[in-house]
Amino acid sequence: MSGTTTPSFRPIGGRVRRAIFSGVAESLGERGTLTAGTVLATLVVSFCLLGPIFCRASPYAIHVGDAYYPPSSQFFLGTDQIGRDELARLIAGGYTTLAVSIPAAILAFIVGTVFGFSAGLGPIWLDKVLMRVLDAVLALPALILLIFFASLLTPSSFQLILLLGLTSWPGLARLVRNEAIAQRGRDFVHASRQCGGGTFHIAWTHLLPVIAPVLVFNGTFLVGDQILALSALSFLGLGIQPPEASWGGLLQAGLNLVVVDPWWMIVPAGVMIFLSIAATNLIGQGILTRSEEAV
Amino acid sequence: MIRMILTRLISSFFTLTILITIVFFMAHATPGGPAFSILGQKATPQAVEQLNQKLGLTASLWRQYVMWFWHLLHGQLGYSYLLNRPVRQLVGDCMVNTLALYASAMLFSVTLAIAIGLIQGITWGRWPANLIRLLELCFYAMPTFFVGTLMILYLSVKWRIFPTGGISSVRISDPGLLDYMRHLVLPVVTVALLGTASLSYYFGASVHEELGKDYVRTALAKGLTFRAVLFRHVLRNALRPLVTMVGLAFPYIFAGSVMVETVFNYPGLGYLLWRSALSQDYPVISAIVLLIGCLTVLGNLFADIVNGLLDPRERYE
Repeated sequence: MSGTTTPSFRPIGGRVRRAIFSGVAESLGERGTLTAGTVLATLVVSFCLLGPIFCRASPYAIHVGDAYYPPSSQFFLGTDQIGRDELARLIAGGYTTLAVSIPAAILAFIVGTVFGFSAGLGPIWLDKVLMRVLDAVLALPALILLIFFASLLTPSSFQLILLLGLTSWPGLARLVRNEAIAQRGRDFVHASRQCGGGTFHIAWTHLLPVIAPVLVFNGTFLVGDQILALSALSFLGLGIQPPEASWGGLLQAGLNLVVVDPWWMIVPAGVMIFLSIAATNLIGQGILTRSEEAV
Repeated sequence: MIRMILTRLISSFFTLTILITIVFFMAHATPGGPAFSILGQKATPQAVEQLNQKLGLTASLWRQYVMWFWHLLHGQLGYSYLLNRPVRQLVGDCMVNTLALYASAMLFSVTLAIAIGLIQGITWGRWPANLIRLLELCFYAMPTFFVGTLMILYLSVKWRIFPTGGISSVRISDPGLLDYMRHLVLPVVTVALLGTASLSYYFGASVHEELGKDYVRTALAKGLTFRAVLFRHVLRNALRPLVTMVGLAFPYIFAGSVMVETVFNYPGLGYLLWRSALSQDYPVISAIVLLIGCLTVLGNLFADIVNGLLDPRERYE
């Protein structure tokens, strides 16, 4: 199959992403990409974490007389269909989104790395079995799997972390496995083995630092993927459950009322999702370009 | 070539078997079950027991699995618990709608991607290419459901150009083809925009790469016009990676179209998956998952075959 010569993070997502964002890195430079990403990410994160300091309104308080009110000096982003402050809900939703997405990305990161190392360094039969399982999971887009599992559970926030984490590791696992296989024949690995180093020791002390750059930028991409997946699930009503706010949920509420033109319920939430995905992708690409230049 | 196709098909069969086994057991191992969805949460234990008996859900899990697989091999997908219709019929109806959406979106986005990619490849490094790249970046990071919602907000609610969703107007008793097409426009454009964003950059980059190669210089040196070189030589070579991408993009654009179908209430496979997942309609879920898995495999195979046709070297790998 053509194209398999370049190892990709994910069958298509990775290759397209690398193509698009390496173009950005070309125009902005490694430093520019990294800076742009970091600035965006700082903005998004501080909006979610520091927001409550500036916006004292409760995301759950219902202002009966002011339901469905466009942006004004009192409600900076207007109110929703039952009179809750949209800005407060946007901030709270962002906090929830980050609080679920980041742990989920970390979980996926750990599972993917362990799985990849097991396949790459373990016995050949284990590699064969694990790769078949991987193919099976990759045969379905993660979103389809997510919809399927989320609908079985109606998950809590904790379950959502597990769910997102456990459906998004295969891409990383394949990458780690390929890297491990590429590195396991190196002299320093043989030397360590001669000295009695076990497989775990080799993976942890010798291989992990070597493939760290690959892991770091893919880990960053994972965060963006999780934010998108979580928002999509919440949008479908299968993720974070109301009354708790989430960006996907806010968009859904806006869509349900779309006939009365509530742009303030739709645009801010969508823009936040967009910004956070762009931020993680820029940072990831920046790190990738830097590590490629270092090599 | 035939040997390659056969090996790929056999290994895909194993992949699909594993996939469908996982899905089957996960679906059946969760608490609740379809009886509650059909009878409601307040159903008496007796009624639940009776219905489970009727649906054959009291047999051991392994027995159910073997039975289900046996029927599958005979081309039978069973009955939907909830809608009381054969799964094949149900999936078939939605499949037609999804294919209509999907095929038009693919056609649209590939055409658009080739046009945009050509401009980008030719003007590489100058402002048109950079502007296009910026747009591609924006659309790439934009979630499908956000784009879809914006489309509804502006194009159907504010400016009333297109209907907000569904597949045909309810008020018209016999909606013609034109009405269907009007309903298709927004979903198709939404799916296509995201597909285009990914594909056009990829294509633009390969046009740029091909333009820098020796054969282009040779062709220009022997007096061919730039246009002839572009369309006769460069296009053909630059299309190869695009074909691979389109094949691989198959399931991913499909996943995107699940969101689009939900946004626009478009009765396709993704919408059906969502509805039946909510009511734990196992036979329907399993059938759709299997179908999407097959589409993925076929998409990959399609890419390989077309590549084999475009480049003879591929056939012997």
